[in-house]
Amino acid sequence: MTAVATMPAEGQGTGPGQLRAGGTPAILRLLLVGLTAGSLAWGIVAAWTVSQHASAADQVVTRSEPLSLDAQQMYRSLGDADVTATTAFLAGPPEPLAVRQRFEADIAQAAGDLAALRDSAATAGSGSTSATLAAGLAAISASLPVYTSYVAQAKTYSSLGYPLTGGSFMQVASEEMHLRLLPAARSVYAQVNAALAADSAGATGLPWIVAAVALALAIGIALVRTQAWLRRRTHRIVNIGLLAATLAVAISAIWLVAAFLTARSDFQQGLGHGSGPAERLAQAAISAQQARGDEVLNLISRSGSTSFQQDFAAMRARIGPGPGSLLAAAAASSPAGPAASAVSAAGRDASRWYAVAGQVFKLDLAASYAAETHLVIGAGPQSSSAVFGRLESDLGRAIAADQVVFRRNASAGRGAFADLEAAVIAAALAMAAGSAWGLSRRLAEYR
Amino acid sequence: MSFRTMLATSVIVTLALLAGCTATSSSGSSSSGTPAGTPIGAGHGQVPAHIPGSPASVAVSLAETGSTLLYPLFGAWASAYHRQFPSVSFTTAATGSGTGIADASSGKADIGASDAFLSSGNLVQNPSLLNIPVAIAAQQINYNLPHLGAGVHVRLSSAVLALMYEGRISTWNDPAIARLNPGVPLPGIRVIPLHRAESSGDTFLFSSYLSTGDPHWNAAIGYGTSVAWPHVAGARAEEGNSGMVTGCAATPGCVAYVGISYLSQALNAGLGEAELQNASGQFVLPNGASLRAAVASFVPATPANETISMVNGPARAGYPIVNYEYAIVADRQPTVAKARDLQAFLHWAITTGNSASYLGRVRFEPLPRPVVSLADAQIARIR
Repeated sequence: MTAVATMPAEGQGTGPGQLRAGGTPAILRLLLVGLTAGSLAWGIVAAWTVSQHASAADQVVTRSEPLSLDAQQMYRSLGDADVTATTAFLAGPPEPLAVRQRFEADIAQAAGDLAALRDSAATAGSGSTSATLAAGLAAISASLPVYTSYVAQAKTYSSLGYPLTGGSFMQVASEEMHLRLLPAARSVYAQVNAALAADSAGATGLPWIVAAVALALAIGIALVRTQAWLRRRTHRIVNIGLLAATLAVAISAIWLVAAFLTARSDFQQGLGHGSGPAERLAQAAISAQQARGDEVLNLISRSGSTSFQQDFAAMRARIGPGPGSLLAAAAASSPAGPAASAVSAAGRDASRWYAVAGQVFKLDLAASYAAETHLVIGAGPQSSSAVFGRLESDLGRAIAADQVVFRRNASAGRGAFADLEAAVIAAALAMAAGSAWGLSRRLAEYR
Repeated sequence: MSFRTMLATSVIVTLALLAGCTATSSSGSSSSGTPAGTPIGAGHGQVPAHIPGSPASVAVSLAETGSTLLYPLFGAWASAYHRQFPSVSFTTAATGSGTGIADASSGKADIGASDAFLSSGNLVQNPSLLNIPVAIAAQQINYNLPHLGAGVHVRLSSAVLALMYEGRISTWNDPAIARLNPGVPLPGIRVIPLHRAESSGDTFLFSSYLSTGDPHWNAAIGYGTSVAWPHVAGARAEEGNSGMVTGCAATPGCVAYVGISYLSQALNAGLGEAELQNASGQFVLPNGASLRAAVASFVPATPANETISMVNGPARAGYPIVNYEYAIVADRQPTVAKARDLQAFLHWAITTGNSASYLGRVRFEPLPRPVVSLADAQIARIR
């Protein structure tokens, strides 16, 4: 319904451009076409923007984050397999069932994750990133059976009564792990994490949202000025159609901006306090596994070389919890709650483990191999094995807690775009209809 | 020169080992007493297509340092190779395996000679290094029982040797030794075990042999380049292989582990050479046949990087304490010419250089053909 006053005399009115009186119908037609087209354009741009952000958010939740988890699991499973195999070898035949099952589970987990990542890489298309990822996955595919065959040879020789030959094969297996498998797994993890960060950035990137908001502002201004002009030309206070269109563009634009800001905040929270610290903790877990391998392989090799001790020291500095370490970085970014408490526990247990390792290397220097073996793989609560197990558990809990943080925030970020695409389309249609109806009514008065 | 053959498993010769070595050096072009040069490719077929058959035309000097045990052999190889290819000259030095590994890692030497392959820890820290086996070596057990006639070889097992080194067998006529040596007039003199004073690959090999044969030794003492030797009355620690030979010669009743290349010195000093019991229960002396037999059983399983322990293996006729000697080389060289010369020389060393005229003087044995092929594959990686 339109509030009606008297039509002004032709030529008396003022309006956009101080047009001739005879041009009013033409102006109205021009406004009708322009505002209708602008409304539809807003619908297209806003819907496309929402679609892009929602799609990227969905990609993060349904694809990138699960793939990142696969890559991390593969990385950690490979490291754990090596530690498990060397520890079992040191314990000597017969290999405990639980240890064998853990090794087999690690290899199965790594193989399963590898398959999932290969499937994903195959569908990811071409490009240098995909090529790097594919190369890393191919390297793991080639080396994993080589590694397991060396471990099998080590166990075979050991069980046949040639433990030293078995020990040399275990070292060759460990070399395969540390020189080929783990670097490739690290590369894959880095690639997949980069993809996760890129998808997260895509969900919260600025360019399209800025363009959409600018368009909304332009249309809103055009609607307001048109109503003002009509008010002056027709002395009608309100044009219901144009008012409805103005409200529609305002509501849909505000909704879009609010959704975007919410999603951006959620994703930044998820990256900064979820996947970021989880990645650093995963690196710490791998480094801890490598350091544990140094302890065990040093005892198998008994070479008199300090190379294992040097590597342990390097891993210790990397893990932390000292300044600049992975644990320190994770502690700074893990949110208060389960993740932070697990990271703190990891720091404490890491320090305890280093103290035990110090005793281990002292015993090695004194050639007290029996006592060293007992301390490295013994079942007592103060053994290196037990303290390392607690550190692993702490890190696992912290990683899981950080992953929950990321998943919760990413899901919330994706949820921010829910129904928005339909809403902006509906708003655009309402704007177009309102503009057309409101202006066509005025236009009809000239017929 | 203080040491000999080392392990086969994961030994890195330690700083202590290095400290026990007296460094000497020579120029390959001025060495004497070298066997006459043998044509390249003799004895082991043709040069593989991916390895150059001759060095680069430009003058190149190759620096070798490391194992004192390998030093005479490298000197002989260097001299012969220089005669055949004057553009290649050598400097060789007996500095100990640890220095050889360190200098090859840092690029100070082109070839690090080592009685041991690199441990996985060392390889992970220096992934560019290759372990290229160049010959087969072994360890002998000598004893000083003056009244035994020449040609008599006392039989010993790992279990009995472990008991002797633990002090639980204190005289040579102990029933446990007598049971292994029926008809041998063993004296009732005290057993004096000798061991190396410094950290040593020889100790690793010997203690490995004891560990494989005696669970008590394995559990209580174990194996390593250093071990916590049990306290035994009269037991002595000696520096290097020559110290073991001279120390044993001066100590009636002694038992000592010594590198195979010291056999002549040990026999000349009046020491006996034991027949060792292998894993099949056979008693064997360290000679060409028993060394080759011991290694042959491991050849099919040898990994691509050729790091394998062969102590007390399954071969029925095999000597139980055998190992490879290694050239440690970086797979990336500063110049194309140096890479080419290293490839050509190392291939020559494991083929022509493995002939009896070179290896016989140190009682080493040539590499089996499949091991040569694996070594060639590693040599081909040098760039």
